Amino acid sequence: MSTEHERTLAAVHQVAAERSNGSLLCATQPHSDTLHFVVDRSAMRAVTGGLVDHLGARFLISVGTDRRPLSGDFGVLHIFSLDRDHLYVLVESPIPADDLRIDSITPVVPGAAWAEREFQDAVGVRAEGHPDPRRLLLPDDWPEGLYPLRRDFPYNFRPPADDAARPKLAGAPAGASVFPMGPFFPVLEEPSYWRLFVEGERIVGCDTRLFYNHRGIEKLGDSVLTYSAIPHLAERICGICGFIHSTCYCQAVEKAAGIEAPRRARYIRTIMLELERIHSHLLWLGIAGHILGFETVLMQTWRIREPVMWLCEAICGNRKTYGMNTVGGLRRDLPDSVRPELLRVLAEVEKEVVAVREAVAGDSALHARTQGVGTLSEETARSICVVGPPARASGVAIDARIDHPYAAYDEIRPRIVTEEAGDVWARVVVRLGELAESIRLVGEGLSSIPDGPVCAEIKDEIPPGKIGVSVVEAPRGEAIHFVLTGGDNRPYRWRVRAPTYPNLQALPAAIRDGNIADTPITLGSLDPCFSCTERVETIDRRTKAVRVFSRAELLKMCRARAKGGG
Amino acid sequence: MVWLLLGCLLNVAIALLLSPLYEGLLRKMRAAIHSRVGPPVTQPYWDLLKLLGKEDLRSGGGMAYAALPALTLASVLLLATLTPMGAAAPLAFAGDMIVVLYVAGMSAVLIMLSGMTSGSPYGSVGSSREMMMALSVEPALAVSLAVGALKAGTLALGGMVDFQAQNGPSVSMSIAGLAFFLALQAQSGKLPFDIAEADQELMGGPLVEQSGPRLALFRWALWAKQLVLAFLLVEVFLPWPRLGIPVVDLLASGLKVLGVLLLVALIDVVNPRLRIDQAMGYFMRVGLASVSALAFAVIGR
Repeated sequence: MSTEHERTLAAVHQVAAERSNGSLLCATQPHSDTLHFVVDRSAMRAVTGGLVDHLGARFLISVGTDRRPLSGDFGVLHIFSLDRDHLYVLVESPIPADDLRIDSITPVVPGAAWAEREFQDAVGVRAEGHPDPRRLLLPDDWPEGLYPLRRDFPYNFRPPADDAARPKLAGAPAGASVFPMGPFFPVLEEPSYWRLFVEGERIVGCDTRLFYNHRGIEKLGDSVLTYSAIPHLAERICGICGFIHSTCYCQAVEKAAGIEAPRRARYIRTIMLELERIHSHLLWLGIAGHILGFETVLMQTWRIREPVMWLCEAICGNRKTYGMNTVGGLRRDLPDSVRPELLRVLAEVEKEVVAVREAVAGDSALHARTQGVGTLSEETARSICVVGPPARASGVAIDARIDHPYAAYDEIRPRIVTEEAGDVWARVVVRLGELAESIRLVGEGLSSIPDGPVCAEIKDEIPPGKIGVSVVEAPRGEAIHFVLTGGDNRPYRWRVRAPTYPNLQALPAAIRDGNIADTPITLGSLDPCFSCTERVETIDRRTKAVRVFSRAELLKMCRARAKGGG
Repeated sequence: MVWLLLGCLLNVAIALLLSPLYEGLLRKMRAAIHSRVGPPVTQPYWDLLKLLGKEDLRSGGGMAYAALPALTLASVLLLATLTPMGAAAPLAFAGDMIVVLYVAGMSAVLIMLSGMTSGSPYGSVGSSREMMMALSVEPALAVSLAVGALKAGTLALGGMVDFQAQNGPSVSMSIAGLAFFLALQAQSGKLPFDIAEADQELMGGPLVEQSGPRLALFRWALWAKQLVLAFLLVEVFLPWPRLGIPVVDLLASGLKVLGVLLLVALIDVVNPRLRIDQAMGYFMRVGLASVSALAFAVIGR
């Protein structure tokens, strides 16, 4: 194992040295699983291309950083993963502040298309030779030349609005007409604009405009919040994968600062992560049914899902947004009292999931709508760097829990579920398989959880200038958090990549030559993220009395209203 | 003449006043299968009332566009007067099964027109799907009625009903009835055939731009149409027991219609929506299968 690991390290070093052609400025290994190369920007495309071609490296994300207060320049960092070798490879180039350009790597790494457009928007480093350098992240009325992630840009600055601004979108090719899907559309839980070019009902191409809900979370993290406040914000990145993002952030900081979370905390993280996967996959199955007009699937899967939400509430006081994670471990232990209930509910859920799987597996009409629909070939999935169930359904056997073990996954080992067909049906099968697997993992975690503290004591200040890369396998695919520590009790740069980011880039390929009718389910099968609601808490403003409505009360109120109001 | 008018009024009243009730019952059943409580049975009446009281907004201009919702509902009511409900159809003298087929197709054409003139891409895609559905479903409907005509030796619906009531079930009429039932599933816009409206794809298709009183009339027309076609199905293919007492026969038909529509709703809840090409292929096969019913009818089975 170790000699093989050393051989891989040597191979990476060799590619970096050869491809950079003498302009390799620095090579370090900040952690046992992370290699960090600094190359001259002229060699960036060659080095990254070499990593992909020779070592099969998978592109994760790019980070553009304004380092003027530190070293007077900017930095562009591309993060790659060598999945089999459990290794991250970081390739960075310094960019002089008076010449903000770097060669785009998108021509050799197609999956980097959005990441490069994003640092172009956010810090103003131009990606030269990018095939589609349009604006990605910033609103259409954002003034040219304002870069929000630069250090001298105040986090609360608001440029004047211009309602007349419109996105620059491609026109329909000759003979095709435009069929707009969005920005608001019944099956899109979030605003996103898909401009489909159709001949009759056949799709011949599409253009898209997204990021309507960009909230500037990364900016808040490196300008306003502190290390220990960020987990709460990270949790709110997504309404479903909240725990995933807070875990991912905490792991990145722990890694950068050399903090070891206690074993028990890692086990509880694993259990919570798998509970999230269970309720997320059930939610997704319901949404998929709804998109196809199959409301019975929606109603039944959400009924099955509900007890899992109550479990989460019993564990941490909330259905969602648990507030459990903190740097160094957890803020709250898993109470022993929930254990029997947890096992009972999971056994029940497992039984019902089997019933759903049997009902779904034999439904020929469902097969007709999902088999051969929205197909992503393995080749396309790899080149766009698709992650999660869509990747595994196309035969790309990647899973962050196995490739970069974190939390307790080195001891509770998940079995990977893959399919070959790459269509919507394959994604259904993969997710159903993962549901059963997650239930097994929670049970295994519960039975082997060690005793002990749940939070490491952090005595020293977190040193500045350290790098931490962390991944977590969310239900939708792998989430990535990158942290560069800073001096003022907060990260200098915090970079987040949610799994939907690469997956949405695959949609144009998946719907091409398909039918309008297949587009919603194809988009749905990538499981784009959305929020869900909490219970209601009211506060009387005069008496400050807090009244919490229980589920039963809310249900009663809903029904009384329906009866009374008609 | 008075009896004729009263008969017409009765059929129109059944179609208008009872169709929301049937819809409400169907919703209750859907809810039960979903593990929900569901809205009260009277909800469709409240829906109509609410929509009728809203502002009348129009996305298209012109007299024809303005009149389309009323014309659609009128075409369905005309169909009701041509359909036997517990007794012979009041306007039976005015037209045989050919006329019934034409009138049954009218509402689909009118809804299609409103989608095309609404100026929305969803409306036009929905209308083109509506047209494709109509073209593939109508043959199945026509062939299944033609089987009845061949058996009874008359094109008049009344004659067909009487013949079926007297002679009992037969192979050909069973196949034809099944084909008619599947056509009913599509004609009433139920899953897996609600392809033209397809909320999740086209946001209501041809009706996407309709709101307020106009939407109320379209909705009412669609509910009435599903009820009238279900009456047509039970009268022509399942007329037994026919006692000759109009009130009892009407009650019996009403119950049978409820059974048929509950079956329609059951199929609706346990199916996803098909794609338009898949639905067309399906009805192509249904049409061909119903031709075999014609063959059985020719050899007297």
